[in-house]
Amino acid sequence: MANLLWLQGGACSGNTMSFLNAEEPSACDLVTDFGINVLWQPSLGLELGDDVKAILEKCISGEIKLDIFVFEGTVIDAPNGTGEWNRFCGRPMKEWVKELSEASDFVVAIGDCATWGGIPANAPNPTDSKGLQFLKRAKGGALGEGFTAKSGLPVINIPGCPAHPDWVTQILVAVATGRADDLTLDEFQRPKTFFSSFTQTGCTRNMHFAYKVSTTAFGQRKGCLFYDLGCRGPMTHSPCNRILWNRQSSKTRAGMPCLGCTEPEFPFFDLAPGTVFKTQTVMGVPKDMPTGVDKKGYVKLTAAAKGAAPAWAEEDIFVV
Amino acid sequence: MADQQTASAEAQVNYKEKYGVTPSQADHATLLRMIEDHFQEGLKTLVEPFPETDREFAKILDNLRTMSADDLRKKLIESGWLLEPYGEDEMRCQECMYYLVHRRWCDLPELNLPAEPDWWCRLWRI
Repeated sequence: MANLLWLQGGACSGNTMSFLNAEEPSACDLVTDFGINVLWQPSLGLELGDDVKAILEKCISGEIKLDIFVFEGTVIDAPNGTGEWNRFCGRPMKEWVKELSEASDFVVAIGDCATWGGIPANAPNPTDSKGLQFLKRAKGGALGEGFTAKSGLPVINIPGCPAHPDWVTQILVAVATGRADDLTLDEFQRPKTFFSSFTQTGCTRNMHFAYKVSTTAFGQRKGCLFYDLGCRGPMTHSPCNRILWNRQSSKTRAGMPCLGCTEPEFPFFDLAPGTVFKTQTVMGVPKDMPTGVDKKGYVKLTAAAKGAAPAWAEEDIFVV
Repeated sequence: MADQQTASAEAQVNYKEKYGVTPSQADHATLLRMIEDHFQEGLKTLVEPFPETDREFAKILDNLRTMSADDLRKKLIESGWLLEPYGEDEMRCQECMYYLVHRRWCDLPELNLPAEPDWWCRLWRI
């Protein structure tokens, strides 16, 4: 039996909604098959008010053993470092987060907001939001760079806007069943099992990427979304095309450019007209190359690929 | 808007007299001929300024979107169309993201015109 507590800070509840849609395993499976005892969760907990507070206090005192502390949403520091803009159970949420993190064996940050601040932490960041151990790419966050939970692991970051439900439940199962030692984390403390490959890995448009044929308008099923419509699939670490959404699709499969939501810089653009859903270029060359590719190599590859492209690459081959 | 419609109507009349069809009615070969004839008649296009930022790029696209398929001459001018490669790097349609090499076609929706591999315009992207 592993006790799990889930709290929300500066959040839209999107990750809770995602979590409740998990299938492999489902949220129910966590309880019935993997022995996770959900002490409290904002959308599932039955307790209200002082009863919730009592659970939190018992976790901090050790009266209830806290195995896994899950946090969704940003840690809000405003105003003036007090955190008063996000109060919960009679005190700033940031204080609960700090004490519960120190009391827990494992701390898991779910979604971009909890991992690195996400959308709320974008300039001018009026709520002084930050993630648990990162603010965007900078280490530190609310708990500090050196923080480790009782298990010795730092915060396990599962980013995404939202995170895929099965990333969440599979990591929770690994931790709850004593397999946390099997987890290896990347430089942003993301489990490598999910975040070593790219969104592009498994994308059905890869052949169009290879032959440099672009999707030039939404609704086209031919072409690659990277060249013109701002897709960040080639430089975003996520398994979105390996572990499909709703078991059947992904953004790029549905014709929607990847927004890079598992990376610390998300959202990437200044949201000014002409910058969203448009590949940013300098003198006609993409500003952000596919990871590991330099400009000279990219230009050479383009010339070779266009020259070698077969006729079918220019057609819509996904005919109903 | 009225001026644009008038200009568009004039262009249609001229194309119709010369080719028997307007650009929107023309086939691939006829459109190519229309483009080449414009340049033989001395057409100068807005090769520069090259859109260095995406906002500048978007502005050109916005201008092109106001033009009908029959506004061929205006489209060529606005897009900075050339019948030869451009710049030190010899940029050309062949390597452009919008170019369909087998169909010999510019697939950028705002242009949607036939093109030869060694041509170029300032909306070139790789």
